[in-house]
Amino acid sequence: MSDIKNMRNIGISAHIDSGKTTLSERMLFYTKRIHAIHEVRGKDGVGATMDSMELERERGITIASAATNVNWKGYSVNIIDTPGHVDFTIEVERSLRVLDGAVLVLCSVGGVQSQSITVDRQMKRYKVPRIAFINKCDRVGANPYRVKDQLVQKLGHNAVLMQIPIGLEDKLEGVVDLVSMKAIYFDGPSGEELREEAIPAHLQDEAMAKREELLDAVSMFSDELMEAMLEDQVSEELIMDAVRAGTLSQELTPVFMGSAYKNKGIQPLMDGVIQYLPNPTQVQNIALDLDQDEKEIVLESDPSKPTVALAFKLEDGQYGQLTYIRIYQGTLKKGDELYNVRSRKRFKVGRLIKMHADSMEDISQAYCGDIAALFAVDCASGDTFTAGSMNLSMTSMYVPNPVISLAIKAKDKNAQGNMAKALNRFSKEDPTFRTYVDPESSQTIIQGMGELHLEVYVERMKREYRAEVEVGQPQVAYREAISRRADFNYTHKKQTGGSGQYARVAGYIEPLESDEENYVFENSIKGGVIPTEYIPSCDKGFQAALEKGTLIGFPIVGIKASINDGQYHPVDSSDMAFQTAAIGAFREAYRRADPVIMEPIMKVSVEGPTEFQGNVFATINQRRGMIVSALEEGAFCIVEAEVPLSEMFGYSTNLRSLTQGKAEFTMEFLKYGKVPQSISEELIRAYEQKRRDEAGK
Amino acid sequence: MVKEELIARSPLRVFETSIHGGLGKGNLGVLTSRKGVGKTACLVHIATDKLLRDHHVIHVSFSQNVDHVLSWYEDIFEEISRIKHLEHARDVHDEIVRNRVIMNFSQKDVAIDQIISSLRAMIVDGGFKADAVMFDGYRLSDDNCEDLGRIRDFAQEMDLEVWFSVSALSEDVPYDEFGVSAPVKELCYYIDVLIGLTFVDDHVALTLVKDQGEEVQKHMSLKLDPKSLLIMREDEPLQT
Ligand SMILES: Nc1nc2c(ncn2[C@@H]2O[C@H](COP(=O)(O)OP(=O)(O)OP(=O)(O)O)[C@@H](O)[C@H]2O)c(=O)[nH]1
Ligand SMILES: [Mg+2]
Repeated sequence: MSDIKNMRNIGISAHIDSGKTTLSERMLFYTKRIHAIHEVRGKDGVGATMDSMELERERGITIASAATNVNWKGYSVNIIDTPGHVDFTIEVERSLRVLDGAVLVLCSVGGVQSQSITVDRQMKRYKVPRIAFINKCDRVGANPYRVKDQLVQKLGHNAVLMQIPIGLEDKLEGVVDLVSMKAIYFDGPSGEELREEAIPAHLQDEAMAKREELLDAVSMFSDELMEAMLEDQVSEELIMDAVRAGTLSQELTPVFMGSAYKNKGIQPLMDGVIQYLPNPTQVQNIALDLDQDEKEIVLESDPSKPTVALAFKLEDGQYGQLTYIRIYQGTLKKGDELYNVRSRKRFKVGRLIKMHADSMEDISQAYCGDIAALFAVDCASGDTFTAGSMNLSMTSMYVPNPVISLAIKAKDKNAQGNMAKALNRFSKEDPTFRTYVDPESSQTIIQGMGELHLEVYVERMKREYRAEVEVGQPQVAYREAISRRADFNYTHKKQTGGSGQYARVAGYIEPLESDEENYVFENSIKGGVIPTEYIPSCDKGFQAALEKGTLIGFPIVGIKASINDGQYHPVDSSDMAFQTAAIGAFREAYRRADPVIMEPIMKVSVEGPTEFQGNVFATINQRRGMIVSALEEGAFCIVEAEVPLSEMFGYSTNLRSLTQGKAEFTMEFLKYGKVPQSISEELIRAYEQKRRDEAGK
Repeated sequence: MVKEELIARSPLRVFETSIHGGLGKGNLGVLTSRKGVGKTACLVHIATDKLLRDHHVIHVSFSQNVDHVLSWYEDIFEEISRIKHLEHARDVHDEIVRNRVIMNFSQKDVAIDQIISSLRAMIVDGGFKADAVMFDGYRLSDDNCEDLGRIRDFAQEMDLEVWFSVSALSEDVPYDEFGVSAPVKELCYYIDVLIGLTFVDDHVALTLVKDQGEEVQKHMSLKLDPKSLLIMREDEPLQT
């Protein structure tokens, strides 16, 4: 068994198009996992190794995160390359959930961009120590110093430069390592030969100054280094120890730089991964004991302890049905029996696999700390597997709610069956992808994080499952809510022959203050006017009523429902009767509580040349958007705005044509906001029309 | 208190009265002092008062980071609503931020023409009907008179009022007792309203140095509370 201390699990995350996949490709190449470099959107048409999906290669973007294992200087490193596009943000969430450290990639021109902020937030959520890599230093306008300042100012990182560049833009030659105080150049056709030299004379002062900054910043983390500095006895080891201590405590972000595309600065970055990011034993992992009221249990990186693993990703690709797992405790062997805590089913480990870029290797066992894959296991993403019947669950990951939906219809009978299979699979793979059949229209609806997200699934249905579908207009996930308190006092009474139905409920509904919760039920019944056994029935009734609002048929959120009075009948009251009464009571009060329609509002960030600023403002203005800020930096500007998602369809085409394709945008869900009156009326009219049409059929 | 009452009772009504009903569209107003006395706080409070009255405001800053500007507005609003017990503060907040845009210029030497062209784009193309533009941290330089002339023309064309917070390029210039530095004094001619800020005892005093074109030296019966960073009536107790 390889020493767990020589293991690293790292993720590469960043803003879209910052070069994550290009960087991963270099890592594969320098570790000799692949023998030639293929570019994203490269002229050879092959596409980067990690972007293995056909769709990814065609579009030049990463859609699914890919895990791969490489060896670097005796260390075994599992690398997960994640997508930058927010529609696939769950891929970043689940990767960070199982990783011990991360590389935050930044563009030397774009700096800390909108998605960098999102990714940074995700890294903080999972307390992942990170190092930064400022990529694309070969680009015109490259300024790694500025980017480092932005790390400090915009992300609040205690960022320190580990290197300074030797030349920039098309003059980028290499980097000066501020620890060893040597210049490093990258020779050979693909930068594979490192050449160390003395620091060029013109960079001497700069390097000295930045090294001082580095020492000052990291001496905080090591008394030994502090002492050594006083005695002028600083050694490379002492600096590296201090940087590692700072990084592991997440109080320091070491900053590396280079150009993935021009093959510069990658090997020192990989040394940095080994040096400064944690090995699995340096990270605390916690499971919840479901038998002990979710008591937190610290898992131990001990191969002899009972096995605990998390299925963090399902993939149905070129190799068949794979389940990626991260082993947190114990050892996993081929033929072992595992217990799926969620489904309470036992299963046998058939094949155990290690993934390498575009190939896989069968292994007989894997140990805690490692990432491996299982074949053909029936489970869902996020399931915990344990040995024996330990009822442990790994703490869950954050799953954002879908904001957009699409009606789909299979083109023929054959496609129908395939579509069902595909949908079933996709919803197991991806917790942000949901599907259901609308009972009123009997249409199949798919829901997801954005247009691209759903587009990709529709395309995958066609390619991987031979299910051709027709799609409707994308619809945003509206919600309904109330604006004020309203009381109810409702009696449900029915006399049909024999035993009847009777229930009366009284109380009120009111808007919840915080948007933390969607629904709160309060029981203030005194003196048993509603018997205890029927209280849950009222709760259930309210919940049923919330599923579909009466304005436009979308879920109602942010409701507190309180009951304080009622009546029952010894014979005619029942669970059903109280449920029905609660539904009736809710509907009665709802109308009087000034119900409103809420829509998802997106945070939109547009970047492009300042000359097109006016056009960008105009596009946002036309879309009911609110410009929050416009930031100009010479010829380059960034416009941040809040725009309703329903207005964002077709935005990329619109923006492209108005800016000669020179502006780009990203957006992510921000909040729910009230739909303006006129649009609300329109939506209600359309909903009523639709219901009439369906009733007429 | 409700929003209407908050507006009516605001110390900024005193402020307006002392400058004859407000700065007025097409006019330029300047807040000046040494560094760190509270110009930005004053400027943001003036802007927030406008926002509460449904005016549209463009805030122009020259920092690295718009988040700082945003948090200034958040803090000032928070303080106002806390101290005055504003009802439905959340809704009021969400309403007023819609009327505010921040335009940030990161380059130190950005030309006035560029700023004006961006402001124009925001107002015309962006459909943002600005009533006021607030320049925070406007830097003085040699050709300031010409710049101010340009801005005035623009203010008149667009029918909006313009406030500046101005500090001198260096701290080594002489300041008078009201917080006005010599270089700012030289520009006085181009400014309609000039207010100097100085520390007096436990608070910051506001002095009207130029009032609608007329040079005066009038105490404003207002102060800036160093704790909440709000403008207050002189007789109001300081926040402790
Ligand atoms: N000039 C320059 N271009 C680069 C560099 N690294 C990547 N690129 C280019 O930037 C584009 C995006 O690169 P990718 O590696 O696909 O970026 P990514 O971060 O993986 O993108 P997503 O996965 O879609 O978020 C490609 O066209 C690359 O060739 C670099 O160091 N310099
Ligand atoms: Mg990629």
